[in-house]
Amino acid sequence: MFPYSLAVLFVISGMGFLMMGAYLWAFLTGQFEDLDKQALLIFEARDFRLAREWELPTQCAERIEKYGPPVAPGPGEWGGRWS
Amino acid sequence: MNLSDEPLDLEARLRLDESGKVAARFCFTSAVLWLLIGTLFAVVASFKFEFPDWLQSWGPTAFGRVRPAHLNAMIYGWASLAMLGESLWLVPRLVHVPLKWPKVALVGAWIWNIGLAIGIITLLGGRSDGLEWLEMDRYWVVPWLVVGGGCVGASILYTVVSRKVQHLYVSVWYIASSFVWFPIIYVTGNYPFYHGVESGAANWFYAHNALGFWLTAINLGAIYYFIPKILGRPIYSYQLSLLGFWTLSFFYALNGMHHLVGAPLPTWMIATSIVASVLMVIPVGAVAVNHHMTMVGRFRALRFSPALRFIVLGAMAYTAVSLQGTFTALPEVNRTTHFTHWTIAHSHMGVYAFVTLVLFGAMYYIVPRLVQKDWPRPALIGWHFWLVFIGIILYIVSLSFGGVFQGLAMLDPTTPFQASVDATIPYLWARSISGIVLAAGHLVFAYHYWLMIQPRPHVAPLPPWHEPKPTLVEPEATP
Repeated sequence: MFPYSLAVLFVISGMGFLMMGAYLWAFLTGQFEDLDKQALLIFEARDFRLAREWELPTQCAERIEKYGPPVAPGPGEWGGRWS
Repeated sequence: MNLSDEPLDLEARLRLDESGKVAARFCFTSAVLWLLIGTLFAVVASFKFEFPDWLQSWGPTAFGRVRPAHLNAMIYGWASLAMLGESLWLVPRLVHVPLKWPKVALVGAWIWNIGLAIGIITLLGGRSDGLEWLEMDRYWVVPWLVVGGGCVGASILYTVVSRKVQHLYVSVWYIASSFVWFPIIYVTGNYPFYHGVESGAANWFYAHNALGFWLTAINLGAIYYFIPKILGRPIYSYQLSLLGFWTLSFFYALNGMHHLVGAPLPTWMIATSIVASVLMVIPVGAVAVNHHMTMVGRFRALRFSPALRFIVLGAMAYTAVSLQGTFTALPEVNRTTHFTHWTIAHSHMGVYAFVTLVLFGAMYYIVPRLVQKDWPRPALIGWHFWLVFIGIILYIVSLSFGGVFQGLAMLDPTTPFQASVDATIPYLWARSISGIVLAAGHLVFAYHYWLMIQPRPHVAPLPPWHEPKPTLVEPEATP
Protein backbone atom coordinates (compact mmCIF):
# COMPACT_ATOMS: atom_id res chain seq x y z
CA MET A 1 0.00 0.00 0.00
CA PHE A 2 2.87 2.41 0.63
CA PRO A 3 4.26 2.85 -2.89
CA TYR A 4 1.13 4.80 -3.81
CA SER A 5 1.70 7.37 -1.15
CA LEU A 6 5.23 7.28 0.16
CA ALA A 7 6.14 10.88 -0.61
CA VAL A 8 2.89 12.21 0.82
CA LEU A 9 3.30 10.01 3.88
CA PHE A 10 6.83 11.27 4.53
CA VAL A 11 5.92 14.91 4.07
CA ILE A 12 2.83 14.70 6.29
CA SER A 13 4.90 12.97 8.98
CA GLY A 14 7.67 15.52 8.58
CA MET A 15 5.23 18.41 8.95
CA GLY A 16 3.77 16.75 12.03
CA PHE A 17 7.22 16.40 13.61
CA LEU A 18 8.04 19.98 12.65
CA MET A 19 4.94 21.25 14.46
CA MET A 20 5.70 19.02 17.44
CA GLY A 21 9.12 20.66 17.58
CA ALA A 22 7.52 24.09 17.36
CA TYR A 23 5.08 23.13 20.11
CA LEU A 24 7.96 22.00 22.33
CA TRP A 25 9.81 25.25 21.67
CA ALA A 26 6.67 27.22 22.48
CA PHE A 27 6.22 25.30 25.71
CA LEU A 28 9.85 25.71 26.80
CA THR A 29 9.95 29.43 26.01
CA GLY A 30 6.76 30.17 27.94
CA GLN A 31 4.53 30.90 24.96
CA PHE A 32 1.59 29.34 26.80
CA GLU A 33 1.97 31.51 29.88
CA ASP A 34 0.29 34.85 30.65
CA LEU A 35 -2.31 34.20 27.96
CA ASP A 36 -4.61 37.06 28.93
CA LYS A 37 -1.67 39.44 28.72
CA GLN A 38 -0.69 38.03 25.34
CA ALA A 39 -4.13 38.94 23.99
CA LEU A 40 -3.19 42.60 24.54
CA LEU A 41 0.02 42.44 22.49
CA ILE A 42 -1.48 44.10 19.40
CA PHE A 43 -2.77 47.17 21.21
CA GLU A 44 -1.32 50.59 21.86
CA ALA A 45 -2.67 52.78 24.63
CA ARG A 46 -4.42 54.88 22.01
CA ASP A 47 -6.45 51.92 20.70
CA PHE A 48 -8.35 51.62 23.96
CA ARG A 49 -9.08 55.33 24.16
CA LEU A 50 -10.40 55.92 20.65
CA ALA A 51 -14.03 57.03 20.67
CA ARG A 52 -16.09 54.45 18.79
CA GLU A 53 -19.41 55.72 17.46
CA TRP A 54 -21.00 52.30 17.52
CA GLU A 55 -20.53 51.67 21.22
CA LEU A 56 -23.44 51.93 23.59
CA PRO A 57 -23.27 54.55 26.35
CA THR A 58 -22.54 51.84 28.91
CA GLN A 59 -19.70 50.49 26.78
CA CYS A 60 -18.28 54.02 26.39
CA ALA A 61 -18.51 54.59 30.11
CA GLU A 62 -16.70 51.35 30.77
CA ARG A 63 -13.95 52.35 28.36
CA ILE A 64 -13.58 55.80 29.93
CA GLU A 65 -13.45 54.32 33.41
CA LYS A 66 -10.73 51.87 32.43
CA TYR A 67 -8.61 53.92 30.05
CA GLY A 68 -9.37 57.60 30.59
CA PRO A 69 -10.91 60.29 28.41
CA PRO A 70 -11.61 59.27 24.80
CA VAL A 71 -9.54 60.31 21.81
CA ALA A 72 -11.09 61.34 18.48
CA PRO A 73 -10.49 58.82 15.68
CA GLY A 74 -8.86 60.05 12.49
CA PRO A 75 -10.65 60.11 9.14
CA GLY A 76 -10.84 56.58 7.80
CA GLU A 77 -9.50 55.26 11.08
CA TRP A 78 -11.63 52.12 10.81
CA GLY A 79 -10.55 51.20 7.28
CA GLY A 80 -12.59 53.37 4.92
CA ARG A 81 -16.04 54.80 5.52
CA TRP A 82 -19.40 54.29 3.91
CA SER A 83 -20.25 57.91 3.15
CA MET B 1 18.09 39.14 23.46
CA ASN B 2 16.08 41.71 25.41
CA LEU B 3 12.42 40.78 24.89
CA SER B 4 9.47 42.72 26.23
CA ASP B 5 5.69 42.67 25.77
CA GLU B 6 5.32 46.36 26.60
CA PRO B 7 3.19 48.29 24.08
CA LEU B 8 4.96 50.42 21.52
CA ASP B 9 4.79 54.18 21.52
CA LEU B 10 3.32 55.80 18.44
CA GLU B 11 6.64 56.95 16.99
CA ALA B 12 8.12 53.48 17.20
CA ARG B 13 5.07 51.93 15.55
CA LEU B 14 5.21 54.46 12.72
CA ARG B 15 8.80 53.41 12.06
CA LEU B 16 7.64 49.78 11.84
CA ASP B 17 4.86 50.69 9.39
CA GLU B 18 7.40 52.56 7.27
CA SER B 19 9.77 49.59 7.06
CA GLY B 20 7.63 47.34 4.86
CA LYS B 21 5.75 50.07 3.09
CA VAL B 22 7.31 49.93 -0.40
CA ALA B 23 7.19 46.14 -0.70
CA ALA B 24 3.65 45.91 0.70
CA ARG B 25 2.40 48.60 -1.65
CA PHE B 26 3.96 46.86 -4.65
CA CYS B 27 2.35 43.57 -3.63
CA PHE B 28 -1.10 45.17 -3.25
CA THR B 29 -0.85 46.99 -6.58
CA SER B 30 0.17 43.89 -8.49
CA ALA B 31 -2.50 41.87 -6.65
CA VAL B 32 -5.20 44.26 -7.89
CA LEU B 33 -3.92 43.91 -11.46
CA TRP B 34 -4.05 40.11 -11.18
CA LEU B 35 -7.54 40.36 -9.72
CA LEU B 36 -8.70 42.10 -12.91
CA ILE B 37 -6.87 39.63 -15.16
CA GLY B 38 -8.22 36.64 -13.25
CA THR B 39 -11.73 38.09 -13.34
CA LEU B 40 -11.59 38.48 -17.13
CA PHE B 41 -10.60 34.81 -17.50
CA ALA B 42 -13.37 33.83 -15.06
CA VAL B 43 -16.08 35.59 -17.03
CA VAL B 44 -14.89 34.12 -20.33
CA ALA B 45 -14.69 30.60 -18.84
CA SER B 46 -18.12 30.93 -17.24
CA PHE B 47 -19.91 32.03 -20.43
CA LYS B 48 -18.40 29.12 -22.32
CA PHE B 49 -20.85 26.91 -20.42
CA GLU B 50 -23.74 28.75 -22.09
CA PHE B 51 -21.99 29.31 -25.43
CA PRO B 52 -19.57 26.39 -25.86
CA ASP B 53 -18.43 27.51 -29.32
CA TRP B 54 -17.66 31.08 -28.26
CA LEU B 55 -13.93 31.91 -28.68
CA GLN B 56 -13.26 28.22 -29.12
CA SER B 57 -11.51 28.33 -32.48
CA TRP B 58 -8.45 30.14 -31.09
CA GLY B 59 -6.34 28.01 -28.75
CA PRO B 60 -5.53 30.57 -26.02
CA THR B 61 -9.22 31.27 -25.43
CA ALA B 62 -10.30 27.63 -25.30
CA PHE B 63 -11.95 26.59 -22.03
CA GLY B 64 -9.15 24.17 -21.16
CA ARG B 65 -6.66 27.06 -21.11
CA VAL B 66 -8.74 29.97 -19.83
CA ARG B 67 -10.04 28.08 -16.80
CA PRO B 68 -6.58 27.19 -15.34
CA ALA B 69 -5.39 30.70 -16.24
CA HIS B 70 -8.26 32.05 -14.10
CA LEU B 71 -7.46 29.78 -11.19
CA ASN B 72 -3.73 30.50 -11.21
CA ALA B 73 -4.16 34.25 -11.68
CA MET B 74 -6.52 34.33 -8.69
CA ILE B 75 -4.62 32.01 -6.33
CA TYR B 76 -1.02 32.98 -7.07
CA GLY B 77 -1.71 36.47 -8.40
CA TRP B 78 -4.53 38.13 -6.50
CA ALA B 79 -4.73 36.16 -3.26
CA SER B 80 -1.08 35.29 -2.73
CA LEU B 81 0.28 38.73 -3.58
CA ALA B 82 -2.32 40.49 -1.45
CA MET B 83 -1.44 38.10 1.38
CA LEU B 84 2.26 38.87 0.93
CA GLY B 85 1.45 42.59 1.20
CA GLU B 86 -0.74 41.95 4.24
CA SER B 87 2.03 39.92 5.92
CA LEU B 88 4.78 42.43 5.10
CA TRP B 89 2.73 45.12 6.80
CA LEU B 90 1.44 43.10 9.74
CA VAL B 91 4.50 41.17 10.89
CA PRO B 92 6.68 44.17 11.88
CA ARG B 93 3.74 45.50 13.93
CA LEU B 94 3.27 42.15 15.61
CA VAL B 95 6.89 41.46 16.56
CA HIS B 96 7.90 45.11 17.21
CA VAL B 97 10.82 45.01 14.78
CA PRO B 98 11.18 46.84 11.44
CA LEU B 99 10.90 44.55 8.44
CA LYS B 100 14.23 42.85 7.79
CA TRP B 101 15.60 42.82 4.24
CA PRO B 102 12.78 44.92 2.77
CA LYS B 103 14.61 45.19 -0.56
CA VAL B 104 14.91 41.41 -0.74
CA ALA B 105 11.15 41.19 -0.17
CA LEU B 106 10.54 43.71 -2.93
CA VAL B 107 12.81 41.86 -5.37
CA GLY B 108 11.07 38.63 -4.36
CA ALA B 109 7.66 40.10 -5.16
CA TRP B 110 8.94 41.20 -8.58
CA ILE B 111 10.32 37.71 -9.28
CA TRP B 112 7.00 36.17 -8.21
CA ASN B 113 5.15 38.48 -10.60
CA ILE B 114 7.48 37.71 -13.50
CA GLY B 115 7.17 33.98 -12.90
CA LEU B 116 3.42 34.19 -12.69
CA ALA B 117 3.20 36.22 -15.90
CA ILE B 118 5.29 33.56 -17.67
CA GLY B 119 3.03 30.91 -16.13
CA ILE B 120 -0.19 32.48 -17.36
CA ILE B 121 1.22 33.09 -20.83
CA THR B 122 2.46 29.52 -21.11
CA LEU B 123 -0.89 28.19 -19.84
CA LEU B 124 -2.70 30.18 -22.51
CA GLY B 125 -0.17 28.84 -24.99
CA GLY B 126 -1.24 25.32 -24.09
CA ARG B 127 1.63 24.27 -21.81
CA SER B 128 0.13 22.76 -18.67
CA ASP B 129 1.20 20.12 -16.16
CA GLY B 130 -2.44 19.04 -16.05
CA LEU B 131 -2.76 18.93 -12.26
CA GLU B 132 -5.34 21.01 -10.40
CA TRP B 133 -3.71 24.09 -8.77
CA LEU B 134 -0.36 22.93 -10.19
CA GLU B 135 -1.00 23.60 -13.85
CA MET B 136 1.91 26.00 -14.32
CA ASP B 137 5.02 24.40 -15.79
CA ARG B 138 7.22 22.97 -13.07
CA TYR B 139 10.45 23.70 -14.95
CA TRP B 140 9.75 27.08 -16.56
CA VAL B 141 7.57 28.70 -13.92
CA VAL B 142 7.81 27.03 -10.53
CA PRO B 143 11.47 28.03 -9.91
CA TRP B 144 10.49 31.69 -10.26
CA LEU B 145 7.78 31.32 -7.64
CA VAL B 146 10.04 29.33 -5.31
CA VAL B 147 12.80 31.95 -5.50
CA GLY B 148 10.43 34.94 -5.36
CA GLY B 149 8.31 33.53 -2.57
CA GLY B 150 11.48 32.42 -0.81
CA CYS B 151 12.83 35.98 -0.82
CA VAL B 152 9.63 37.38 0.70
CA GLY B 153 9.41 34.49 3.15
CA ALA B 154 13.04 34.95 4.20
CA SER B 155 12.37 38.62 4.91
CA ILE B 156 9.29 37.82 6.99
CA LEU B 157 10.79 34.89 8.89
CA TYR B 158 13.99 36.81 9.63
CA THR B 159 11.82 39.61 11.02
CA VAL B 160 9.99 37.12 13.26
CA VAL B 161 13.26 35.58 14.43
CA SER B 162 14.58 39.06 15.29
CA ARG B 163 11.47 39.81 17.36
CA LYS B 164 11.53 42.12 20.36
CA VAL B 165 8.37 40.71 21.96
CA GLN B 166 8.57 37.94 24.51
CA HIS B 167 5.39 36.22 23.34
CA LEU B 168 4.21 35.55 19.82
CA TYR B 169 0.66 36.80 19.26
CA VAL B 170 -1.57 34.16 17.64
CA SER B 171 -1.46 36.01 14.28
CA VAL B 172 2.33 35.56 14.22
CA TRP B 173 1.91 31.83 14.74
CA TYR B 174 -0.46 31.62 11.79
CA ILE B 175 1.52 33.87 9.43
CA ALA B 176 5.02 32.63 10.26
CA SER B 177 3.93 28.98 10.07
CA SER B 178 2.35 29.49 6.68
CA PHE B 179 5.68 30.78 5.34
CA VAL B 180 7.25 27.50 6.52
CA TRP B 181 4.41 25.22 5.41
CA PHE B 182 3.81 26.65 1.96
CA PRO B 183 7.32 26.05 0.51
CA ILE B 184 7.19 22.46 1.78
CA ILE B 185 3.84 21.64 0.21
CA TYR B 186 4.54 23.59 -2.98
CA VAL B 187 7.82 21.81 -3.65
CA THR B 188 6.25 18.46 -2.70
CA GLY B 189 3.32 19.05 -5.04
CA ASN B 190 5.63 19.97 -7.90
CA TYR B 191 8.07 17.10 -7.33
CA PRO B 192 8.32 15.67 -10.87
CA PHE B 193 8.58 11.92 -10.31
CA TYR B 194 5.09 10.82 -9.27
CA HIS B 195 3.33 8.18 -11.32
CA GLY B 196 -0.27 7.06 -11.64
CA VAL B 197 -2.50 7.42 -8.61
CA GLU B 198 0.40 8.66 -6.50
CA SER B 199 0.29 11.77 -8.65
CA GLY B 200 -3.38 12.23 -7.69
CA ALA B 201 -2.57 11.78 -4.01
CA ALA B 202 0.27 14.31 -4.17
CA ASN B 203 -1.91 16.68 -6.19
CA TRP B 204 -4.69 16.78 -3.61
CA PHE B 205 -2.24 16.82 -0.74
CA TYR B 206 -0.94 20.05 -2.25
CA ALA B 207 -4.17 21.63 -3.44
CA HIS B 208 -6.04 21.17 -0.17
CA ASN B 209 -3.11 22.20 1.97
CA ALA B 210 -2.51 25.27 -0.17
CA LEU B 211 -5.97 26.32 0.95
CA GLY B 212 -5.47 25.38 4.60
CA PHE B 213 -1.83 26.15 5.25
CA TRP B 214 -1.45 29.14 2.96
CA LEU B 215 -4.69 30.96 2.15
CA THR B 216 -6.48 30.09 5.39
CA ALA B 217 -3.57 30.45 7.79
CA ILE B 218 -2.51 33.95 6.77
CA ASN B 219 -6.06 35.25 6.65
CA LEU B 220 -6.99 33.76 10.02
CA GLY B 221 -3.91 35.53 11.36
CA ALA B 222 -5.20 38.75 9.82
CA ILE B 223 -8.69 38.25 11.28
CA TYR B 224 -7.20 37.75 14.75
CA TYR B 225 -5.46 41.09 14.32
CA PHE B 226 -8.11 43.27 12.71
CA ILE B 227 -11.26 42.37 14.64
CA PRO B 228 -9.83 43.12 18.11
CA LYS B 229 -7.82 46.07 16.80
CA ILE B 230 -10.80 47.84 15.26
CA LEU B 231 -13.14 47.04 18.14
CA GLY B 232 -10.56 48.07 20.73
CA ARG B 233 -11.13 44.96 22.79
CA PRO B 234 -9.01 41.83 23.06
CA ILE B 235 -10.05 38.56 21.51
CA TYR B 236 -12.72 36.76 23.57
CA SER B 237 -10.54 33.80 24.52
CA TYR B 238 -6.84 33.77 23.75
CA GLN B 239 -6.71 30.14 24.95
CA LEU B 240 -9.21 29.15 22.27
CA SER B 241 -7.23 31.01 19.61
CA LEU B 242 -4.14 28.94 20.42
CA LEU B 243 -6.20 25.75 20.52
CA GLY B 244 -7.47 26.63 17.03
CA PHE B 245 -3.97 27.21 15.69
CA TRP B 246 -2.36 24.07 17.09
CA THR B 247 -5.22 21.76 16.16
CA LEU B 248 -5.24 23.15 12.61
CA SER B 249 -1.50 22.62 12.36
CA PHE B 250 -1.75 18.98 13.49
CA PHE B 251 -4.96 17.89 11.72
CA TYR B 252 -5.03 19.79 8.46
CA ALA B 253 -2.18 18.09 6.57
CA LEU B 254 -4.19 14.86 6.45
CA ASN B 255 -7.28 16.40 4.86
CA GLY B 256 -6.50 16.43 1.14
CA MET B 257 -7.36 12.82 0.34
CA HIS B 258 -11.05 13.43 1.01
CA HIS B 259 -11.11 14.78 -2.56
CA LEU B 260 -10.35 11.24 -3.71
CA VAL B 261 -13.16 9.30 -2.05
CA GLY B 262 -13.81 6.38 -4.39
CA ALA B 263 -10.41 6.69 -6.10
CA PRO B 264 -8.09 3.66 -6.36
CA LEU B 265 -6.05 4.62 -3.31
CA PRO B 266 -5.39 2.63 -0.13
CA THR B 267 -8.51 2.72 2.03
CA TRP B 268 -6.55 3.85 5.08
CA MET B 269 -5.54 7.05 3.29
CA ILE B 270 -9.12 8.01 2.50
CA ALA B 271 -10.38 6.93 5.93
CA THR B 272 -7.65 8.88 7.73
CA SER B 273 -8.44 11.92 5.66
CA ILE B 274 -12.16 11.73 6.44
CA VAL B 275 -11.41 11.39 10.17
CA ALA B 276 -9.05 14.38 9.99
CA SER B 277 -11.73 16.35 8.14
CA VAL B 278 -14.20 15.66 10.94
CA LEU B 279 -11.56 16.62 13.52
CA MET B 280 -11.35 20.01 11.80
CA VAL B 281 -14.54 20.84 13.67
CA ILE B 282 -12.27 21.58 16.65
CA PRO B 283 -10.13 24.39 15.16
CA VAL B 284 -13.06 25.74 13.16
CA GLY B 285 -15.29 25.77 16.23
CA ALA B 286 -12.57 27.47 18.26
CA VAL B 287 -12.16 30.20 15.64
CA ALA B 288 -15.91 30.63 15.12
CA VAL B 289 -16.74 30.91 18.82
CA ASN B 290 -13.85 33.28 19.40
CA HIS B 291 -14.70 35.64 16.56
CA HIS B 292 -18.40 35.61 17.31
CA MET B 293 -17.96 36.23 21.03
CA THR B 294 -15.52 39.05 20.33
CA MET B 295 -18.14 40.68 18.12
CA VAL B 296 -21.07 40.17 20.50
CA GLY B 297 -22.46 43.52 21.56
CA ARG B 298 -20.43 45.29 18.85
CA PHE B 299 -22.18 44.26 15.63
CA ARG B 300 -23.19 47.90 15.10
CA ALA B 301 -19.54 48.50 14.23
CA LEU B 302 -20.24 46.91 10.84
CA ARG B 303 -22.21 50.04 9.98
CA PHE B 304 -19.18 52.23 10.61
CA SER B 305 -16.18 50.22 9.46
CA PRO B 306 -16.06 48.84 5.91
CA ALA B 307 -12.88 46.94 6.72
CA LEU B 308 -14.56 45.25 9.66
CA ARG B 309 -17.67 44.38 7.64
CA PHE B 310 -15.61 42.66 4.93
CA ILE B 311 -13.47 40.85 7.51
CA VAL B 312 -16.34 39.69 9.72
CA LEU B 313 -18.26 38.36 6.71
CA GLY B 314 -15.07 36.62 5.61
CA ALA B 315 -14.71 35.09 9.08
CA MET B 316 -18.31 33.85 8.95
CA ALA B 317 -17.65 32.34 5.52
CA TYR B 318 -14.61 30.57 6.98
CA THR B 319 -16.83 28.83 9.51
CA ALA B 320 -19.42 27.98 6.87
CA VAL B 321 -16.98 26.66 4.29
CA SER B 322 -15.04 24.61 6.82
CA LEU B 323 -18.13 22.93 8.24
CA GLN B 324 -19.36 22.37 4.69
CA GLY B 325 -15.98 20.79 3.89
CA THR B 326 -16.28 18.40 6.83
CA PHE B 327 -19.81 17.51 5.77
CA THR B 328 -18.79 17.02 2.13
CA ALA B 329 -15.92 14.71 3.13
CA LEU B 330 -18.41 12.15 4.49
CA PRO B 331 -18.74 9.35 1.89
CA GLU B 332 -22.55 9.49 1.99
CA VAL B 333 -22.53 13.16 0.98
CA ASN B 334 -19.52 12.88 -1.30
CA ARG B 335 -21.29 10.22 -3.35
CA THR B 336 -23.79 12.85 -4.47
CA THR B 337 -21.63 15.98 -4.64
CA HIS B 338 -18.43 14.62 -6.19
CA PHE B 339 -17.88 15.63 -9.85
CA THR B 340 -20.63 18.25 -9.61
CA HIS B 341 -20.81 22.05 -9.46
CA TRP B 342 -21.20 21.76 -5.67
CA THR B 343 -17.40 21.51 -5.47
CA ILE B 344 -16.99 24.73 -7.47
CA ALA B 345 -19.41 26.52 -5.13
CA HIS B 346 -17.49 25.15 -2.13
CA SER B 347 -14.11 26.29 -3.43
CA HIS B 348 -15.48 29.77 -4.18
CA MET B 349 -16.93 29.98 -0.70
CA GLY B 350 -13.41 29.32 0.58
CA VAL B 351 -11.26 31.34 -1.75
CA TYR B 352 -13.73 34.15 -2.39
CA ALA B 353 -16.28 34.52 0.42
CA PHE B 354 -13.62 33.85 3.06
CA VAL B 355 -10.17 34.71 1.68
CA THR B 356 -11.00 37.47 -0.77
CA LEU B 357 -13.43 39.30 1.53
CA VAL B 358 -10.84 39.27 4.32
CA LEU B 359 -8.22 40.58 1.89
CA PHE B 360 -10.53 43.39 0.74
CA GLY B 361 -11.14 44.34 4.36
CA ALA B 362 -7.44 44.19 5.20
CA MET B 363 -6.62 46.40 2.22
CA TYR B 364 -9.26 48.95 3.22
CA TYR B 365 -7.50 49.17 6.57
CA ILE B 366 -3.86 48.96 5.47
CA VAL B 367 -3.68 50.97 2.23
CA PRO B 368 -4.63 54.36 3.81
CA ARG B 369 -1.82 53.78 6.27
CA LEU B 370 0.59 53.01 3.42
CA VAL B 371 -0.22 56.03 1.29
CA GLN B 372 -1.17 58.28 4.24
CA LYS B 373 -4.45 59.29 2.63
CA ASP B 374 -8.01 58.27 3.26
CA TRP B 375 -10.02 56.49 0.54
CA PRO B 376 -11.16 59.34 -1.75
CA ARG B 377 -14.70 58.13 -2.73
CA PRO B 378 -16.47 56.43 0.19
CA ALA B 379 -19.52 55.72 -1.99
CA LEU B 380 -17.37 53.39 -4.10
CA ILE B 381 -16.68 51.27 -1.02
CA GLY B 382 -20.43 50.77 -0.62
CA TRP B 383 -20.80 49.85 -4.29
CA HIS B 384 -17.88 47.46 -4.04
CA PHE B 385 -19.29 45.77 -0.94
CA TRP B 386 -22.81 45.23 -2.23
CA LEU B 387 -21.69 44.08 -5.68
CA VAL B 388 -19.30 41.44 -4.36
CA PHE B 389 -21.64 40.43 -1.53
CA ILE B 390 -24.66 39.92 -3.80
CA GLY B 391 -22.47 38.38 -6.48
CA ILE B 392 -20.90 35.74 -4.27
CA ILE B 393 -24.16 34.84 -2.52
CA LEU B 394 -25.82 34.30 -5.92
CA TYR B 395 -22.81 32.30 -7.08
CA ILE B 396 -22.68 29.99 -4.08
CA VAL B 397 -26.42 29.42 -3.76
CA SER B 398 -26.95 28.74 -7.46
CA LEU B 399 -24.05 26.34 -7.92
CA SER B 400 -24.70 24.53 -4.63
CA PHE B 401 -28.30 23.77 -5.56
CA GLY B 402 -27.32 23.04 -9.16
CA GLY B 403 -24.59 20.68 -7.95
CA VAL B 404 -26.94 18.71 -5.72
CA PHE B 405 -29.54 18.33 -8.48
CA GLN B 406 -26.78 17.36 -10.91
CA GLY B 407 -25.44 14.76 -8.47
CA LEU B 408 -28.88 13.28 -7.81
CA ALA B 409 -29.55 13.05 -11.55
CA MET B 410 -26.20 11.32 -12.12
CA LEU B 411 -26.93 8.79 -9.38
CA ASP B 412 -30.29 7.90 -10.87
CA PRO B 413 -29.71 5.02 -13.32
CA THR B 414 -32.97 5.78 -15.13
CA THR B 415 -31.88 9.33 -15.98
CA PRO B 416 -29.74 9.78 -19.12
CA PHE B 417 -26.44 11.58 -18.49
CA GLN B 418 -27.46 14.38 -20.83
CA ALA B 419 -30.41 15.12 -18.54
CA SER B 420 -28.03 15.65 -15.61
CA VAL B 421 -26.16 18.22 -17.71
CA ASP B 422 -29.35 19.94 -18.90
CA ALA B 423 -30.55 20.21 -15.29
CA THR B 424 -27.61 22.48 -14.47
CA ILE B 425 -28.17 25.05 -17.23
CA PRO B 426 -30.33 27.54 -15.22
CA TYR B 427 -27.79 27.42 -12.38
CA LEU B 428 -24.92 28.00 -14.79
CA TRP B 429 -26.72 31.06 -16.12
CA ALA B 430 -27.07 32.31 -12.55
CA ARG B 431 -23.35 31.67 -12.07
CA SER B 432 -22.45 33.69 -15.18
CA ILE B 433 -24.69 36.57 -14.09
CA SER B 434 -23.12 36.52 -10.63
CA GLY B 435 -19.73 36.57 -12.36
CA ILE B 436 -20.69 39.79 -14.12
CA VAL B 437 -21.79 41.30 -10.79
CA LEU B 438 -18.52 40.24 -9.14
CA ALA B 439 -16.54 41.62 -12.08
CA ALA B 440 -18.33 44.96 -11.68
CA GLY B 441 -17.39 44.97 -7.99
CA HIS B 442 -13.77 44.27 -8.86
CA LEU B 443 -13.70 47.11 -11.39
CA VAL B 444 -15.07 49.50 -8.77
CA PHE B 445 -12.45 48.35 -6.27
CA ALA B 446 -9.60 48.56 -8.79
CA TYR B 447 -10.68 52.05 -9.88
CA HIS B 448 -10.86 53.19 -6.27
CA TYR B 449 -7.46 51.66 -5.54
CA TRP B 450 -6.03 53.42 -8.60
CA LEU B 451 -7.45 56.75 -7.34
CA MET B 452 -6.00 55.99 -3.94
CA ILE B 453 -2.43 55.52 -5.15
CA GLN B 454 -2.45 58.60 -7.36
CA PRO B 455 -0.45 61.55 -6.00
CA ARG B 456 -2.93 63.99 -4.45
CA PRO B 457 -0.90 67.02 -3.38
CA HIS B 458 -4.04 69.03 -2.61
CA VAL B 459 -5.15 66.50 0.01
CA ALA B 460 -3.74 67.01 3.48
CA PRO B 461 -1.41 64.10 4.24
CA LEU B 462 -1.04 62.27 7.52
CA PRO B 463 -4.42 61.64 9.08
CA PRO B 464 -4.64 62.08 12.84
CA TRP B 465 -3.64 58.49 13.56
CA HIS B 466 -0.13 59.68 12.78
CA GLU B 467 -0.26 62.54 15.26
CA PRO B 468 1.90 61.86 18.27
CA LYS B 469 -0.49 63.86 20.45
CA PRO B 470 -4.04 62.93 19.48
CA THR B 471 -6.98 65.23 20.07
CA LEU B 472 -9.05 64.55 23.14
CA VAL B 473 -12.82 64.52 22.83
CA GLU B 474 -15.33 65.22 25.54
CA PRO B 475 -16.84 62.02 26.92
CA GLU B 476 -20.60 61.75 26.49
CA ALA B 477 -22.74 61.79 29.56
CA THR B 478 -23.81 58.28 30.46
CA PRO B 479 -27.15 57.36 31.96
